[in-house]
Amino acid sequence: MKVKVRLFAGLKDLVGGPEITVDLEEGATVRGLEDQLGREYPRLKPLLASLAFAVDEEYKARDYTLRDDDEVALVPPISGGCDV
Amino acid sequence: MFDLTEDPLDPGPVVEDVRHPGSGAIVIFLGVVRDEDHGRKVRYLEYDAYRSMAEKEMRKVGEEVLARWPAARISVRHRFGRLEVGETALVVAVSAPHRGDAFEACRYAIDRIKEIVPIWKKQVWEDGEAWLEGHPVQG
Repeated sequence: MKVKVRLFAGLKDLVGGPEITVDLEEGATVRGLEDQLGREYPRLKPLLASLAFAVDEEYKARDYTLRDDDEVALVPPISGGCDV
Repeated sequence: MFDLTEDPLDPGPVVEDVRHPGSGAIVIFLGVVRDEDHGRKVRYLEYDAYRSMAEKEMRKVGEEVLARWPAARISVRHRFGRLEVGETALVVAVSAPHRGDAFEACRYAIDRIKEIVPIWKKQVWEDGEAWLEGHPVQG
């Protein structure tokens, strides 16, 4: 199955674009996607542990099971507002 | 109202969103772009946002505020894109019957916005730039 992965802020620069498609086995979890991203994009690897994952705009834990065509966003530590 | 916009923010309409006959106090917070950070001169900030989700999460913050302070009203605007020094990045207005609740609820809302609303900022200095890392989201 394929999931669409959206990237923001510094991750966009690291991967070279705002969106990638990742091939996963049926029944893969967020953890599985995280591992796959680490293999395909070694520059992401050191950052993965600090990320939250949102599936179809809802934060999900690492054991959440993904489905074909899900939109998954990688959410780096947030720095909205003004002072951090 | 919970809104993410590329346009300059005007606090006036945000205050009017929460004004009503039962509100004896309105607290308004403006987050403003500062000209320095840790001794480095900031030229401007660039905000990136997961727009659709950010609006949803801002509404969630509003629901949390109303669950804790049922008599409060809240309105939030966050800007994204390029912001110059002195410009407003965030406006939060909260009304309540009394000032204690209005101050507390406004503070709570700002803290939660910075924890769960997917918005990021890049600082651009005279001699470089970097995306800032704030709160890791507890998934």
